[in-house]
Amino acid sequence: MKSSNKLILLAIFTLMTGCGSGSSGDSGGSVALANNMLSITVNGSLCSGNSYLNKPCVSVTVCTPGTSACQTISDILLDTGSSGLRIFKQALNVPLTQVVVGTGLIAECTQYGDGSSEWGPIQTASVILGNEPAVQVPIQVVDATFATAPVTCQNADQNPAAAGYNGILGIGVFNQDCGLACANSAANGMYYSCSGSSCVGAAVALSSQAQNPVSLLPWDNNGAIVQLPSVPPGGSPSINGTLVLGIGTQSDNVPSGVTGYATNQFGEIATILNGISYSSIIDSGSNGLFFTPPSTSLLPNCPSPDSDWFCPSSTTTLSASNMGASGSQRGVLSFQIGNFNDLISSSNNVFADVGGSSTGQLDWGLPFYLGRNVYVGIEGKGSSLGSGPYWGY
Amino acid sequence: MKKRFYALLIGLGIYVTAFASVQSAQAALGESADSITSDRLSLSAVQGVTTTLNGYTIHTIESDATKVREYISPNGVVFGIAWNGLIHPDLTPLLGSYAGEYQEALRQTPRKPGRRRLQVKTDHIVVEKWGHMRNLQGRAYAPALIPPGVSIDEIK
Repeated sequence: MKSSNKLILLAIFTLMTGCGSGSSGDSGGSVALANNMLSITVNGSLCSGNSYLNKPCVSVTVCTPGTSACQTISDILLDTGSSGLRIFKQALNVPLTQVVVGTGLIAECTQYGDGSSEWGPIQTASVILGNEPAVQVPIQVVDATFATAPVTCQNADQNPAAAGYNGILGIGVFNQDCGLACANSAANGMYYSCSGSSCVGAAVALSSQAQNPVSLLPWDNNGAIVQLPSVPPGGSPSINGTLVLGIGTQSDNVPSGVTGYATNQFGEIATILNGISYSSIIDSGSNGLFFTPPSTSLLPNCPSPDSDWFCPSSTTTLSASNMGASGSQRGVLSFQIGNFNDLISSSNNVFADVGGSSTGQLDWGLPFYLGRNVYVGIEGKGSSLGSGPYWGY
Repeated sequence: MKKRFYALLIGLGIYVTAFASVQSAQAALGESADSITSDRLSLSAVQGVTTTLNGYTIHTIESDATKVREYISPNGVVFGIAWNGLIHPDLTPLLGSYAGEYQEALRQTPRKPGRRRLQVKTDHIVVEKWGHMRNLQGRAYAPALIPPGVSIDEIK
């Protein structure tokens, strides 16, 4: 019995090594995953070739509701800074079910901090995360040609190449992408009702908005844990990690030594850097650490065209404090910023110490996740880390 | 500085004459405070509080989607705009006569995936966007129009 198990393991191991690609954990994650786990690769095999640096990717299975017509799509950006699953029409080949408001087809203009946007209809898919039971989820099918986009979505991404991914899996701290504001007002600017080619602003019930698929799972629905290893100072070509669904709902997702930081109504905590308090998010979909530098001589911008990254003469260590929105939790952390141009001159794609200048908000992007387990607590649900919405690490 | 302001007023005169009939397309940045009414119309918004600070005035225009703040200098010209909300507003009516050069500069700004921010500089204005789902923010300002003694950081 035991020896036959060993034989099977050996066979699997042989198959794995037979695939031959060099990176240490490349296929390690895909064998022993529990039902509530998904593989993440930062760059690496789940991302398309030529992916931009520090890009975390997963694959998601979507099916036509009520059928066995399913498709597994990779190069899906794992984004804790948004809620809802969005997939480009070009990457989809199973039909989904259009969500309506009255007789109108619901469509959404999803905007991001960088001014980019995605336009397309809301359709229900049967979504399978890892080996969890399938859940019926309204998702956005990204399709710039759908009906007539509002002016705020006139430059919406046309295709995966323009956006840099096949889709986004938004597993942020909220159940829906918009929430009550879009249920209560037709002039919310995000949701539209379309008839023929014309679309008008529409109030859309919470259950018809794009949903965080994690919050709809039968058991592991109170949040998720993003687990990524650390990388050496010079970076790595790619890394593998795990997305664990649920917080304290199974033996494999029990927090230990973790502090939860409750967020405000926008999913933000506070960060004190150089004596100044900023609102901040812990966003896997941002590919650097973005903040206002204590001084531009300490952290100068790189020369153009990379001037949105820092190029200090030597790697610089900084310290900051994160605080829950209520101010009750507080934790000090240190982080490093290296010279972006020096780092990217290698063939590596994953870096812990890249950052750039920003005004207004502080953005703990993907580098924050390297070497940490980050807990994303969904609103209205609780765990030993507190009541969602919260961030924990 | 003054020369520029008068040139702008002349430019504004021409603009108003040329486009007076297109009411909802009237603009704000670099123009007189009167244009706030037309911004309110084009944003389907309710005009809210007016605050006076450090010699300048802030008019707030609030809709269910976005809250827009217009910064008005003592001589009545809008020198900056800031916003936050569910969406970035349509900037065309807010940037007025600068909208064209903004669109052109935006077209020449390469897409940088993985970022939650954008800065676009033209010859006359700076437009910045940042934020995330449910809290998208940004500001636009004309550096040459900022009143003496006012810091860019006050436009927020």
